[in-house]
Amino acid sequence: MARDKASSKIAKAATEIGGLLRAPARVIPLLRKLGRDSFRLTFEQRHLYSYASTQRESAEVLNSVLRWILDAQRPDGGIAAYYSLLTGYSESYPEVTGYIVPTLYDFAGVGGDKGAVARASAERAMLWLLSLQMQTGAFPAGLHGSPDERAQPSVFNTGQILQGLVRAYRETNNPEARNAAMRAGDWLVAVQQADGCWSGPSAYQHVPHTYYSMVAWALAELGEPSRAWDSQRERPYRNAAEKSLDWALSHFRPSGWIDGIKLRGHPTYLHFIAYVLQGALETGVLLRRNDAIDAVAKSAWVLLRKFEANKFLPGAYEPDFKAGHRFTCLTGNAQMSCIWLRLFEVTNDLRYLNAALKMNEMLKGLIPSRGPAGMIGGVSGSYPIWGRYQPLRFISWGSKFLADDLLLEQRMKQSLPAEEVEVLPCAS
Amino acid sequence: MRIVILASSVYSETSCAMAVRLAEVGYIPVGGLALSSLNRATLLRKFAQWGPREALRYARSKLIPQTGTAPGRMQNKLLEPWLKAGEQRFRNLKEVARFYRFPVAVCRDQNAAASVSRLRVWAPDLIVFTGGNILRKAVLSVARLGVLNLHLGLLPEIRGMSSPEWSLLSNVPVGVTIHSMDEGIDTGPILRRLEFPDAKQCRSRAELRNRLIAFGVEQIGNVISDLDRGLLAPTPQPDQDVDTQCFVMHEWLQARADGLLTGRLTRATHE
Repeated sequence: MARDKASSKIAKAATEIGGLLRAPARVIPLLRKLGRDSFRLTFEQRHLYSYASTQRESAEVLNSVLRWILDAQRPDGGIAAYYSLLTGYSESYPEVTGYIVPTLYDFAGVGGDKGAVARASAERAMLWLLSLQMQTGAFPAGLHGSPDERAQPSVFNTGQILQGLVRAYRETNNPEARNAAMRAGDWLVAVQQADGCWSGPSAYQHVPHTYYSMVAWALAELGEPSRAWDSQRERPYRNAAEKSLDWALSHFRPSGWIDGIKLRGHPTYLHFIAYVLQGALETGVLLRRNDAIDAVAKSAWVLLRKFEANKFLPGAYEPDFKAGHRFTCLTGNAQMSCIWLRLFEVTNDLRYLNAALKMNEMLKGLIPSRGPAGMIGGVSGSYPIWGRYQPLRFISWGSKFLADDLLLEQRMKQSLPAEEVEVLPCAS
Repeated sequence: MRIVILASSVYSETSCAMAVRLAEVGYIPVGGLALSSLNRATLLRKFAQWGPREALRYARSKLIPQTGTAPGRMQNKLLEPWLKAGEQRFRNLKEVARFYRFPVAVCRDQNAAASVSRLRVWAPDLIVFTGGNILRKAVLSVARLGVLNLHLGLLPEIRGMSSPEWSLLSNVPVGVTIHSMDEGIDTGPILRRLEFPDAKQCRSRAELRNRLIAFGVEQIGNVISDLDRGLLAPTPQPDQDVDTQCFVMHEWLQARADGLLTGRLTRATHE
């Protein structure tokens, strides 16, 4: 087992180095990025009183992030998992392609002329996803064409792709998207355990995970009565979502920490903590479960206080949010900002909005505005780029969450009433 | 009563005004402990926040303090009554100390063992905090009556930073609270909580802050006097379990707070 692991690591390293040797033009951007992150780490000050002011407008960064996603779309219509500074773009990644679809449609709603491009991109992505669905209704694990994909259907990927299918049907009324969504939903309901979790060969590492609350969210979307699906079939999806939510909530500790993330061989990355929170929050909102919203708010507040004290969130934590690692997982930070923005929307507590705005200043400052196509507008796995989470890569799910975050920021700012000075009656 | 002042810097106008106000009500401080205003961490922070030009200007102003009798630039003109003694204007805590004859020490960390020892030597009955580090138990327990803080918001509703701005945006009355400090952030027992009646007259956040500070400096003299005469006892804050801590406000929200002030002024003018 250990020998297999070691040889797989060696093979991976050989591939990465080989990639760089095949494309030596990538050496300069790589060195430049390493140098820039080292410099920034040396001089930046992050503490309770520190504050990053707006250097880059959110709209400009949003456009740049969307450009990155569009560039990452492969000829087959799928979105690459990442752009590596060593090996370039990866193969298409079904899971991320699925949940990038709602992001593309959201951008299409506000993006003017560029919105049409985003919409077309979403439709191409959807066509590709439809071609991947298995007989059972499930979607495969791993990168497109990888051995994993042939081997196994994946609960998590099916849930993430279900988000895209539901949204695509709402946007296009395409019956194929509707049927695919219901088949995926039926499969998820069928393989769910009695206690609400998913385990067995279709679960990552064959064990149940609390971050599958993201799957619950997709099922809650599918079972939402206003979605005009088949009204006879809404109930099982909602029940499955509710069961999954209950199972996830039973793993929340009084400290706000969540057990059951269970990533064997990996630390508990912020990305996965944020997955649990985001899934539980959105499911809670859809199912009108205040207990879920309260539980998420408690955990999100613990992380907000940590963020405010240091102006960044560590990329991984030990239980009870102790001993955070030194690198930052940008995707997890963007997800937390999304969660704070949604909590602001739900609770009206401006402190969530305040933290999200500051988080976004930090994130915007780390999005490259120069370099090769795979770098500009890209969200690196870690900051610094050599951090433990997806080192030396710009990852498409990071772009997805940052785009969601900036779109939400825009919506929240617009939702606040205009300043009083505009509406005061003038006696003269 | 023996009182020591803790200051964020010897150049802090609030610290200077506070020391003079205490002297005015009969309590000349027995010592002042200020954070060093020119250290690597502060300079790097200014560099990151303001950029190289402003950081350099800041460093120059600390290295080459103004000399002579020129009035110099005052950040909060409302503190002027306390920063003047006849023809002289106090430019820093050391000048105030020289005038009233009390010692001032500079440290890099108010919680450091050396700082605590220094405070113990002065044997204060009360410490008045005007800025600096988040204080730890060792400092908080030096004085018999603890450490007093002037908080620019009403407790317990608004704790933490950017309090006047958070008060405005949260529709909580603007005011100040004079309270004893404990290990939490603005969670200690309250001595006096005062709404600020003139908030509507302010045209900007900066003006509001300046007026609140001047109002607070005036009031803290009265509070200490009442405390010394046994007319005042600290009252524990209600709602200890509710987390009302606020953090530095983002500039987009600050601009909204400014807009709100302008709006109120417009309404007040037309009414």
